[in-house]
Amino acid sequence: MNMDTLAALFHGFAVAATPYNLFWSLVGVTLGTAIGVLPGIGPALTVALLLPVTYGMEPTSAFIMFAGIYYGAMYGGSTTSILLNTPGESASIVTALDGHAMARKGRGAQALATAAIGSFVAGTIATIALTFVAPLMVKIALLFGPTEYFALMVLALTTVTAVLGDSLSRGLASLLFGLALGLVGIDLQTGQARFTLGISELLDGIDVVVVAVGLFAVGETLFTVARHCFEIEELYQLKGSKWLSREDWRRSWKPWLRGTALGFPIGALPAGGSEIPTFLSYLTEKRLSKNPEEFGHGAIEAVAGPEAANNASAAGVLAPLLALGLPTSATAAIMLAAFQQYGIQPGPLLFDNNPELVWGLIASLYIGNVMLLLLNLPLAGVWVKLLAIPRPWLYSGILLFATMGAYTLNNNIVDVALLWIIGLIGFGMRVLNVPVAPCIVGLILGPLAEQQFRRALTISQGDASVFFTHPISLALIVIALTLVLVPTLLRWRAARQASEAANQA
Amino acid sequence: MLKSANFRIGETILGLASLGLGLFIGVETWSTPPIAAQTVIGPGLFPALIATGLVLVGLQLLYEAFLHRLQVEEFPELDWKAVILVAAAFASQLVLLERLGWVVSGTFLFVVSAMAFGSRTHLRNLMIGLLLTALTYLVFDYGLDLDLPTGSYVEDLVDLAGGTV
Repeated sequence: MNMDTLAALFHGFAVAATPYNLFWSLVGVTLGTAIGVLPGIGPALTVALLLPVTYGMEPTSAFIMFAGIYYGAMYGGSTTSILLNTPGESASIVTALDGHAMARKGRGAQALATAAIGSFVAGTIATIALTFVAPLMVKIALLFGPTEYFALMVLALTTVTAVLGDSLSRGLASLLFGLALGLVGIDLQTGQARFTLGISELLDGIDVVVVAVGLFAVGETLFTVARHCFEIEELYQLKGSKWLSREDWRRSWKPWLRGTALGFPIGALPAGGSEIPTFLSYLTEKRLSKNPEEFGHGAIEAVAGPEAANNASAAGVLAPLLALGLPTSATAAIMLAAFQQYGIQPGPLLFDNNPELVWGLIASLYIGNVMLLLLNLPLAGVWVKLLAIPRPWLYSGILLFATMGAYTLNNNIVDVALLWIIGLIGFGMRVLNVPVAPCIVGLILGPLAEQQFRRALTISQGDASVFFTHPISLALIVIALTLVLVPTLLRWRAARQASEAANQA
Repeated sequence: MLKSANFRIGETILGLASLGLGLFIGVETWSTPPIAAQTVIGPGLFPALIATGLVLVGLQLLYEAFLHRLQVEEFPELDWKAVILVAAAFASQLVLLERLGWVVSGTFLFVVSAMAFGSRTHLRNLMIGLLLTALTYLVFDYGLDLDLPTGSYVEDLVDLAGGTV
């Protein structure tokens, strides 16, 4: 245990526990839950849509509110997956499997309860872990030069791409599209305008909020309107006892802890995300269960474990974001954009320059978690009512707020036009099943990676071999290559074996 | 492989889009005169890398679409009329928003897109649209000090009536 860390954390609590900041934390968790619970809106979009609300605030309070929105949206998202079977993001897909099955059996309230309590347990443990891991990560980050940073970003970009979706080429197309969008604007080192097409509003680049809202909100709305007459939604009301039985507790507590143990470390890796830990948690619980045949038909372990893993990784993702300035999920990318809007660059220096902000934010995560447990257990019924909003109003409202968000960014219509174009592209990506997250992470990481790349080469006077002669950088690049090549090879071998088997038959 | 016919169209579109974007970036970068700046690496290298990547991925997607029976996936059935209606209502904002203002043009967007989602209670939709936009206008312009457009035509009207906004 590090005394400095504890002292800093106590100081953070002093910042976060002022009535003023407590108020913003409460606003954040409430808004986050309320928006996150709406079908089709995941945490990334929730944060992006609520960004304008914080414009007038001072940074510390704004980020305390963001932390609340972030955690709140995670809680809200699980309600939607369980009762409506429409996961707002890929990490809740696993929860939807058995959670919705439980809801069909009339055990929706228990599914919600185990998700909420599991999220609380996981969130709290993972926040404690974050408290101690983040300063360690800062120490490591201080050893990094531009070369290592570049390699780290390459690793983050490849994992986001290689992990999501089932086609590497489509993930790459999405990533490269994001990187291309990131090129737009003035080149920071030479002042040359790139790809602005003569539009002066584009000199500052394309805002990540416009892209996220365009892809998630507008694209999703267009896709939903295109599909709404072909799909029937089934909403399950809560009925019967709201509480977990002794049996439910007995079956839930180990999956909560195991989910946390999987979620935090994987989320905290600079290559994390929350898809892998939720899937791993599901598989682990299925393997350890005495009755694996229940899985897929409403096993409470299959809700408890993945939900815990999901929330633990959400805390984990904050470690590289705060300590390295490295976003590893779409939501983290938007949080990074929010930091940049305040002129704050997350990274090792943030802990020295803005200790109030960092530790206030971390302390507010503890507080937010308690608030969320209180908001979600007794008030579950209130959030469920939000699910019953008629779809025409819900999606028209989403479009309205998307437009508002884009316009108020810079008070010009160019952002709304961009939102429209990117919305249409997002619709196309949704139809063609192209993952969206690589695009958003690429957009925000691309320009940072380019800066580090050019800085590294300036220091080495143009010698590109530095990326392979620095040991840390080499290791990171080798890991990135392995992550791309191994699954490709495995897939190729499986395909060959399948065709051989077909030939023999 | 008959079922994959539709899907191949999708892969082809995606491949062509990647290829097109890659070529555009490539040509644009190629034709930009180099700046004589004191940097080892100019502003053109990264775009060139991205352009190359896009072209390669585009070719790979086209290869998968035409020669490779890699994945068979259902192309979802789509209600194109509804999509076009929503997209058009959204596009109208580009013209209307700064002229008619947030309240009028936002309400229009709300009503039309609710219609596309199959809602037939137009009057009620209108009321909800008005309520939402008016509320956000008040909160943003007076509470948060952000500017949602009042609308140049609306301002003219108010001026004519002798009032101030």
